[in-house]
Amino acid sequence: MPNLLQTYRKNRTLIITLVILFLLLLLAIQGMSTRDWVVTVLRGLAVGSITFLVAAGLSIILGLMDVLNLAHGTLFMIGAYVGWSMYVRPDTVVDATTPFLLVLAGFLLMPLWMPLLGRLRLGRSATRVWPWIALLAGLALLALALTRYPLSIWSGTEYQNSPIVWNQYFEAGTVQENVTPATFDTIIAAVVDWGSLLAGSVLVGLAVAGFAIARRGPTAQAARSVARPLMWFALVAAVAIGLYVVNTPLSDFLLSLSSNALFVLALIVAALVGAGLGGLMESTMIRPLYDRGIYQILLTLGLGFIGVEMVRSIWGRTGFTMPKPALFSSTGDGCPAESISGWLQHQCSTIIVDIGGEPARIRTYNELFVIAVGIVVLIAVWLLLQRTRLGMIIRAGVQDSRMVEALGINVRRVFTLVFALGVGLAAFGGVIAAPATGLSDTMGATLLLSSLIALAIGGLTSFPGAAAGAVIVGLTQQFIIRYGQLGINLPFLAEPWKPSPPLVPASVILLMIIILLVLPQGLFGRSE
Amino acid sequence: MSNILEVRNIHTYISQFHILEGVDVEVPKGGIVALLGRNGAGKTTTLKTIMGLTPPRSGEIIFDQEPVQGRPSYEIASLGIGFVPENRGIFRDLSVLENLKIAERKKGDLDRKSDFIFELFPDLQRLIKLPGTHLSGGQQQMLAVARALVPDNRLLLIDEPSEGLAPVIIEAMMEAIRRLSSETTVLLVEQNFIVASQLAQHYVIIEEGRSVQAGLMADLVHDKATIQRYLGAA
Repeated sequence: MPNLLQTYRKNRTLIITLVILFLLLLLAIQGMSTRDWVVTVLRGLAVGSITFLVAAGLSIILGLMDVLNLAHGTLFMIGAYVGWSMYVRPDTVVDATTPFLLVLAGFLLMPLWMPLLGRLRLGRSATRVWPWIALLAGLALLALALTRYPLSIWSGTEYQNSPIVWNQYFEAGTVQENVTPATFDTIIAAVVDWGSLLAGSVLVGLAVAGFAIARRGPTAQAARSVARPLMWFALVAAVAIGLYVVNTPLSDFLLSLSSNALFVLALIVAALVGAGLGGLMESTMIRPLYDRGIYQILLTLGLGFIGVEMVRSIWGRTGFTMPKPALFSSTGDGCPAESISGWLQHQCSTIIVDIGGEPARIRTYNELFVIAVGIVVLIAVWLLLQRTRLGMIIRAGVQDSRMVEALGINVRRVFTLVFALGVGLAAFGGVIAAPATGLSDTMGATLLLSSLIALAIGGLTSFPGAAAGAVIVGLTQQFIIRYGQLGINLPFLAEPWKPSPPLVPASVILLMIIILLVLPQGLFGRSE
Repeated sequence: MSNILEVRNIHTYISQFHILEGVDVEVPKGGIVALLGRNGAGKTTTLKTIMGLTPPRSGEIIFDQEPVQGRPSYEIASLGIGFVPENRGIFRDLSVLENLKIAERKKGDLDRKSDFIFELFPDLQRLIKLPGTHLSGGQQQMLAVARALVPDNRLLLIDEPSEGLAPVIIEAMMEAIRRLSSETTVLLVEQNFIVASQLAQHYVIIEEGRSVQAGLMADLVHDKATIQRYLGAA
């Protein structure tokens, strides 16, 4: 009991604020029927749960590395688009994996170059010049080989082959019939293209090593192991070419899978692509800028814009929907379901529940599944933070990463891992969001704004704060939207007041301002 | 007699400020060496430079016959150096147990060392579940030293263990450091000359970023002129 009292005294403002927010939520029930209230709360939680998937990574990265990753929204969007591709056009993903792995294989040889180049005794000007030549030659080779690589892909500009039309094929179950497999005309053309990809990435890798030597001077270090990079190179290149050989049967197999299985695959692929992008971004671009905060912000902001343009050029400017997996899409027999078991039996898109004497339509994907995923991720990340050694290192590193390093822990590697995990989670969130909200080139920016506000409300680097902030943002938005339809009865007004749509984003920012005025550290922030 | 640590003529800059302008330290295996000097002389920076936290621009740092200057902190620590910083570096969001566990380099380090650690600092066993925030200054200091004992460290760098502690606690701390020094070599920074002179067998005096004098502590305690000149009134 004294413990409880102590907790209350310490967190008085926080508890009072949460109680007020809770009371406001209860008060909201006065203006609408119980049914509307329940549905609005569910919608708010769903929006909150997607916001949380982005905000969680953002807040952990900000806490541990002091990097505000403004590209996080774009990476969320890229996750959604990659997920859509795996979902509707798995054959394209299989096609694209071969050239990707070949380029990767070339880079895997990089550990060999530093010691090898260090032994070459070149003149000063030669040392400066050759990396540039290698870089340009490598990039030219890559550009040539990549553009000529046969991909069976949709088009962002031509309607007959656009993602929208492929969505229609997907819903009709005729994707497989409309796919035309892409292959090289001759085996020679294939070998030339593969060779160019390998040579191009090897040259770029050499150039990178050359730049490092030109800057820091040659290092006398010997290669730790010659065999290991060579083995990885051979393995990845072999897998790449093997994938080309089994391309058609593999694509056919993937296209014959149910949409539920494809959706799970899409989640996995998007999370992996996100994690890869995050790891690459941290290790190549953010790492040199750890001591220069303003440069990081400009860098991540710029990368965000580049990402949006890339998405536009690959998937087109027009937004489109992502068909829901079969488990959530049926409207036929026995639908809308009247219970959870009825939904599972008929795979309905909606459930009708009786709330307060009125039937409420609840969408199984948007308002149940999304929330469930949010809760599962919340628990999983919480367990990771509290119960694993990695989580312990993250919690310690948030406070003092140099002390963690002085204990003998390679904090740089932890940084890269956490960045990759955070971005992977956002990309995963993108796929979860896509069937509910559709795909568009603005989905990233919108969500980045929401999650930044969620972070500010929750206390920037606090993980429970990010979760609470995301839920508050989601609920506020949805209640304002609902009141915009119903109107609020305010005293001294003859007609109910209807908040107009622009008030939806404004309301969240207003709420943030109020909360920060009362609690400058945010709900769960720590005063320094 | 072999030295476990040799610091030779290190120069360290923090941003553009030349903080260490030639520091030499020799730490023989076993026992305690004290770094002495006035506030701001560069004692703490010397420890941080050895740890790789403020890497030296020139000079050599040899730990157990291996040059370590320029290597990242975590590699230096992994060679077997424990660091107890001036601010104690206790992680607030971690419990006492987690603060100890995070220092493990191999699985089971803490289990093997816990008897020794809790014998030195019996208080910690009672506090094991508390978060780092709830510890008093003395308890934090004990935890910081205990944490450095969890892995198999061959050298401990301890910065100002007596700072801000009550006299009774200082006594206990000194006793603990004396006992652990029979297992591990200690390089100690200590402002309080009485504490340092009772603990250490060797000393190095640092003045304005240079090491100016080194020798046996037994000789220094009688050398009132040196004490007066470099350390102020003793």
